[in-house]
Amino acid sequence: MRSGIFTPGTRGTRWVAAGAAMAMAGLLAGCGSGGSGGGGGSITAYVYGDDAVKVQQAAVDSFNKTSDVKVKLVSVPGTDYVNKLRSSMGSPSAPDIFFNWGGGSIKPYVDSKDLVDLTSTVKNDATLKDGFLPSIMTAGSLDGKIYGVPMRGMQPVMLFYNKSLFAEHKLQVPKTWEDLQKAITTFKAAGIIPFALGGADKWPELMWMEYLLDRIGGPEVFRKIQNGDTDGWGDPAVLKTAQTVKELIDDGAFGKNFNSVDYGNGGAPTLLNKGKAAMHLMGSWEYSTQLGKAPEFAEKDLGWTAFPTVAGGVGDPANVVGNPTNYWSVNARTKHKDTAIAFLKTMASKTYAQAVVDNGDIPTTSNAASLLSSSPNPEFANAQYQMVQEAPSFTLSWDQALEAQYATPMLTEISKLFAGTTTPEKFVEAMKATR
Amino acid sequence: MSHHTPAKRRGDRKAAVGNVGRPPVGWAVPGILFFAVFAIVPLAIAVYLSFCEWDGLNSPTPTGLDNWTRLFKDSEFGQAAWLSLLLTTISWAFQTPVALLLGVWAAGRQRSRAVLSAIFFIPLLLSTTAIAMLFHALLDPNFGVIKEIGPWIGVDPNVMGSSTGALLMVAFVGGWQFMPFHTLIYQGGARQIPEVLYQAASIDGAGMVRQFFHITLPQLRHTMTTSSVLMIVGSLTYFDTVLIMTKGGPGTDTTILPYLMYRTGFQTYDLGYAAAIATALVVVATGLSLILVRFSGFGSMRSTREGM
Amino acid sequence: MSTDTRPAAPQHASPAAPRRPAPARRRRRRGNPLAGLGSLVWLVLVLVPLYTLVSASLMRQDEALNGDPLAFPTDPTLDNYGTVLDSGFLALLGNTAIVAVATVALVLVLSVPVAYVAVRTRSRLSSLAFRTFLLGVAIPAQAVIVPLYLLIGKMGLYDTLYAIILPTAAFSMPVAVLVLSGTMRDVSEEMYEAMSLDGASPFRMLWQLAVPLSKAGISTVAIFSALQAWNGFLFPLILTQSEENRVLTLGLFNFMSQFGVNIPAVLAAIVLSVVPIFAVYLVARRALVNGLMGVGGK
Repeated sequence: MRSGIFTPGTRGTRWVAAGAAMAMAGLLAGCGSGGSGGGGGSITAYVYGDDAVKVQQAAVDSFNKTSDVKVKLVSVPGTDYVNKLRSSMGSPSAPDIFFNWGGGSIKPYVDSKDLVDLTSTVKNDATLKDGFLPSIMTAGSLDGKIYGVPMRGMQPVMLFYNKSLFAEHKLQVPKTWEDLQKAITTFKAAGIIPFALGGADKWPELMWMEYLLDRIGGPEVFRKIQNGDTDGWGDPAVLKTAQTVKELIDDGAFGKNFNSVDYGNGGAPTLLNKGKAAMHLMGSWEYSTQLGKAPEFAEKDLGWTAFPTVAGGVGDPANVVGNPTNYWSVNARTKHKDTAIAFLKTMASKTYAQAVVDNGDIPTTSNAASLLSSSPNPEFANAQYQMVQEAPSFTLSWDQALEAQYATPMLTEISKLFAGTTTPEKFVEAMKATR
Repeated sequence: MSHHTPAKRRGDRKAAVGNVGRPPVGWAVPGILFFAVFAIVPLAIAVYLSFCEWDGLNSPTPTGLDNWTRLFKDSEFGQAAWLSLLLTTISWAFQTPVALLLGVWAAGRQRSRAVLSAIFFIPLLLSTTAIAMLFHALLDPNFGVIKEIGPWIGVDPNVMGSSTGALLMVAFVGGWQFMPFHTLIYQGGARQIPEVLYQAASIDGAGMVRQFFHITLPQLRHTMTTSSVLMIVGSLTYFDTVLIMTKGGPGTDTTILPYLMYRTGFQTYDLGYAAAIATALVVVATGLSLILVRFSGFGSMRSTREGM
Repeated sequence: MSTDTRPAAPQHASPAAPRRPAPARRRRRRGNPLAGLGSLVWLVLVLVPLYTLVSASLMRQDEALNGDPLAFPTDPTLDNYGTVLDSGFLALLGNTAIVAVATVALVLVLSVPVAYVAVRTRSRLSSLAFRTFLLGVAIPAQAVIVPLYLLIGKMGLYDTLYAIILPTAAFSMPVAVLVLSGTMRDVSEEMYEAMSLDGASPFRMLWQLAVPLSKAGISTVAIFSALQAWNGFLFPLILTQSEENRVLTLGLFNFMSQFGVNIPAVLAAIVLSVVPIFAVYLVARRALVNGLMGVGGK
């Protein structure tokens, strides 16, 4: 099973550990070990260490065959990635190129002017400009400027469902809010939980907020918040979102026990594959989770669709939320900026995209469509790719888009909202007050 | 902690004052230095940081009393402090009577008691992490044991999803782990109660219950203080349990002080404020222990010392 | 293995002044129905989780999720244990063993002299030190984790086993000093006098008199600090990062996410983590039990 940072289960714990270490490592930045820096005809690239590293390693190897300046790939173990990066960025041994999630994950470096602004480079280079899906490029940008080039697979959030339960109860897969209500009522009457939700893990709840706000108020509402305007939480759409969440909970849409159900330990996915729950809003990794956990179910009964519209909402139902992809960013202090950018360009190549596909992921390059038939799961791969390709907007997961100092209180407030210990109104007030 | 016959030895010690062969005080220096470097100095730094703003990236900047004024206004801190107090109280009220009864009972020499005591000890062998993970699995509302037995014993399978339930479960799991330890302490204490006291009471016709309240309990006073201090400080280590079992939830309803500190410091990177919470935590823990010691004489060794 | 939990009373009592007669059998034999019943309830509470732990760790993943969690596995398998052992479990165990041994050694080497000085001298300094340690019992380790990281980093010890050993030892010292001075105080002055008449140095008195007579306290301290090291979670979580330096508790925590959907494997990892200390328990139960009893004073 893959273990990217967004892979279920690993995510929560990794954030905890990485976060803990990171804050501390910041302290030590000053007493870094010196190191070789970017001199001597080589550049260093930090990558998040997991199973997908072999794809990047292959790209580096083939790049080094023709390049004078060699790329040295450093695979930093996943748990320590954020921490190692943060401490090394302040030291002489900073990497020239590094893996990141775009958005809030690079904000501190943008603020300290440590990153190369790639906006004009991308605009003036056909390979980079046309090489990737537009929504992906935008999702990783900050204040309208591009700081990163996509380098891994996409992970949109989708609505997964149990096909046989829908057939059994003669229901259509929900496209509209009305469909959704009907499904909730029907499943509830049949003693089936309409939506599995791993509330004990907090971040699955975030996905509901993200989609509801997008459908109700459009992606602009969160974009404003992401750009540092906490008053953005005061938008009526946010309140409506919180109220909708409350209605869903009161309706029993998530069953009674969701606050003690985990995603990480397999609680929520198992509810879906055992037919105890009908639907599950989750990142695209749910497919491989189910494949590993209940292969028969995954191949026969697991369906997927887009999040339905919300009554009275202005958001485009084709919009997607989730983790668009990961990016390479370039350190402003690198001595070999041209080499770095040349390496970044290889990310748009067909060879690279094929390697990503072979690893079971869906690349974010515009040429990916033709490659997907060779994916281990072509049907799912195509659906996912198409969904993202057609999406006018791809909103980055809020906890990635915001810096930790905002993201953590936000997750806390959201979990309070779902636990019923705060009201929608108080939620909005608390979010507006985050410093 | 020798409270039985200090008088005699006190006399001995007085007689021995000024004799030779005392160790140089310097022998204690390495130990004291070591403890200072890894416990006292960090404590001082924590206090200093509580007057600073610090994101962990840049240097701390002093901000005077900002963190502290914020602390006293922060409803989340208030809630966490209240929950910590509640958890400590519940843990104490749960563990003390059970450990006391089990300990006194296990002090008996019957073979059956010995066998049971050996079994009771087992939870202490598991690490806190392992226990929290075990109960996390057992309490899964859909796939855990709680789904099967919950209804029998009147526990909602969604116990971890309810605010009260989750807190009680954290207290229970803490008790499950540390009960053997406190039972042992009481068992040790009970075995030291002079048998004559019971014999005398029996002659006076006192029943078992009366003996328990008039002899056992008063005799175990010091044991109880020791155990209580360890429980109070120990209930702070429920941090591991909270992190693994509830992540502070549902909502923030099991976010006790150490967890709030951890979240503030290592997830929000507001390390100055986290240091203020940590300092408050130390003050509370030390304060509570001091009160307990003062009012029960846990430091009886000190009085022995004074006689030296 | 003997099932007698008698705490070998004489060994634990003050060697110089055994102040308690051998317990009379009569009272001890008396039954106590209320406590007896209570202990049976507690027995169930202890055994049910332990039983589920073991039985579910023998199940296949699917059975663990579908079946009755209280039923014994229909088709027991050791696969889960294989999975765990293949995930570097032994390395975790090795690290934890190193940490535990080093912590115990350090605590003893540092605390014995402190306790000895506290008991045998009367200077202001030693009294102050003693009080500091007394208060130290109440300092929660969590409170100093932030500055501690800074310190460990500055010392260049970040992500080494030292980063776990040193603070763990420091935070075991208050209880250690308390327990040791408690036992050492019971060594009678006459014995010291007798030794000094022989011209013994303070070191010889410590080594040949105080230490041998404080065996009970020393084993208490050893067991207590070993358990601290065994249980430690926060220090490893924050002060180490790489896999080479991962200890058991942190490894378990990581298994929880690594095996995520595989509950039996997580439980198998828990069982395996208990095996070594359980073995110690079987072999040295009496020492362990008596040692811990000693934390509460005699």
